[in-house]
Formats: sequence, structure tokens, C-alpha cells
Amino acid sequence: MKEQWRLLQTGFNTGSTNMAIDRAVLVANSEDKIPPTVRFFGWKPPAISIGYFQSLKEEVDLDSCKRYSVDYVRRITGGGAVFHENELTYSIVIPESHPEIPKNIMESYGRICGALVKGLKHLGIESEYIPINDIVSGGRKISGNAQTRKSRTVLQHGTILIDVDVDKMFSLLRVPDEKIRDKLIADVKQRVISIKHVLDRSIGFEEVAAAMKKGFEEEFNVELVEGILTDEEKQLTKKFESECFGTWEWNHKK
Amino acid sequence: MQAKSVYKVPNGKLLKVFLNYDEKDNLIKSVSITGDFFAYPEETIEIMENKLKNTLLEREELLEKIQSIIKEYNIEFIGLNAEGLTDGILMCKT
Repeated sequence: MKEQWRLLQTGFNTGSTNMAIDRAVLVANSEDKIPPTVRFFGWKPPAISIGYFQSLKEEVDLDSCKRYSVDYVRRITGGGAVFHENELTYSIVIPESHPEIPKNIMESYGRICGALVKGLKHLGIESEYIPINDIVSGGRKISGNAQTRKSRTVLQHGTILIDVDVDKMFSLLRVPDEKIRDKLIADVKQRVISIKHVLDRSIGFEEVAAAMKKGFEEEFNVELVEGILTDEEKQLTKKFESECFGTWEWNHKK
Repeated sequence: MQAKSVYKVPNGKLLKVFLNYDEKDNLIKSVSITGDFFAYPEETIEIMENKLKNTLLEREELLEKIQSIIKEYNIEFIGLNAEGLTDGILMCKT
């Protein structure tokens, strides 16, 4: 019988709730209270997440966020700023010691991204993992990913673009040099692509989630069984939200 | 003196350093290491920032100090390395 992992479909939440859930699941898994878990989710309102080491004010135009009612949150993972709107976001939490997870961090990125590549294939999209942390289709980025390891447990989360609005994204993110803003936007438009754009049709969150579920099941030869957050995970989520991801101190710390 | 640098690490990520330094003694008063790189465990970057206080802004000494902190705290960088971090910090001065 195939190993069973838990699948969480937590719907659409705020940035701080989403990041708190990932951390709650990480803690619960590190204490051996839940099986390896894959989660699919979205963001409401749309939100910018920044990498653990990024400077909030340097990367994000906070006035624009307010104007457009866009939320922002600092992640516990490194990497860059992401505008989460029309996408499927996933996270996977699994013990570092699991035989399917390479000890080497770069190799484990490749392995987990392999699940997404397989998922995209189910949608009819050819793609490949490009180190450090991207998945590209036709040379253009369709997914960005970030991993942390805490308490001997791996958390990797990432985004799969369903549709993308580069102009809106850049109205919310700051650019290093205003003089080259237009060129930068033009460059990024050439470098990113979304599922909708590749397939030339609109596609719903559920259809993408179903494909990604298959991708994870195939890559890791497991069965994903739909479950819910435990009461303890829910309590931890509230705790992390009020003590960390929802606080000024955390989000503005750099 | 407050200064900032933006540096694309060769084969790596975009490093942004905010530096406060003493011009007379050429010493780091405080440094904030930011960017879209990865470092494991993440919290060691704060240790790095603290330990770099009062370090001389001279390439060899700074690089050696950064390498020793990486070794002591078992820091694994992805998209950044000791040389890149040293160059990013020193670039604040130019």
C-alpha cells in the first residue's frame, strides 16, 4: 500500500494567516503529530510576501499596498518578494529524515519542484526546474519556490502563476532605480508566464490544484488524503499570527 | 556615516547592504544584510550582523571574519557567499 500523506485545502486567507498555518504545520510535523503534509491555498486579499532577509520598505511600496488594499507579510523562508493574486500557492512539510527528501538542500528543491513539473504536465504544460528556485516553461518563469529547515523538518512553499499582471505587480513593488522602471517592467513581462497564457484559456484554481495533487502523488509515489488542520495546529496558527506574522515588529524588522 | 549598496552576486542573488560606519577609524558600527538570497539557519544572519560590529572595513580582514562566522555557526548560503558578502559591504564605501 502506498504511503499516505495529508492534503490540506485551506482556501483563501490573509498573508499572516497563510504564513502562520505553514509554521503551525511545520511545528506539528516536527513533533511527529501529523504526517507529511501538502497544502494548496490562495490569498484574500491579494498579498505581497517578502523573503525573510529582505527589507520591507526597500522592496514594497507600502502606500500603494494601502491604496489597492493589498496585504503584506514577511515569510520565514528566504528568497524574493512575490505578489500573490491569481495563483495557486502550495506548501509541503516533511521530516528531513524522510527517505524521499535529499539531505542536500539544492537537491531537495529539485525533487519537490519535480512534483510541480509533473503537475504542470497534467495541464499540458512542459516545464523544468532551474536552480536555484524557479520552474520555467519555454524559458519563462511560471513558479518560484522557497525552502526552510527547522527542527529537522523541511518546509517548502511556492507559487504557480495562474494569471499574471506585471504592471500591477510593479505598482506595488519598489524598483532599485526609478529611471529604468519601464525597461524593468518590459523585461519581466518577457521573463514570466502564467498557466493561462501558455494554455490560451482561462483556468480555475480547482483544476490547477487537482493537477498538482497528481503531480505530488506521482513524484513521491504516495497517496494524498484530504484532511483538515488539527485543533492544536489551529491554536498554533492563531498564536503565530498574533505573536509573529501579524505584528509590526516581524514585518518591519528589516 | 550611513551608506547602502546593491550588488548582484555573481551566479547568485541580489544583495542589499545597509552600512553605518565610522569614517575616521574605518570600522563597522552596524550593518544590515538584506536581499533575496537564502541562508540556513536563517537566524544566523542576525548573529553575523552583530559579530561584524567593530570590524575593520578592509577586504582581507572582513572576509576572514565572515568566513570564521560561517564556520562557527555552520551557515549554509545559497545565492550568496563569503566573497559576495564582503564585496557588498565594501561597496557601500564607494
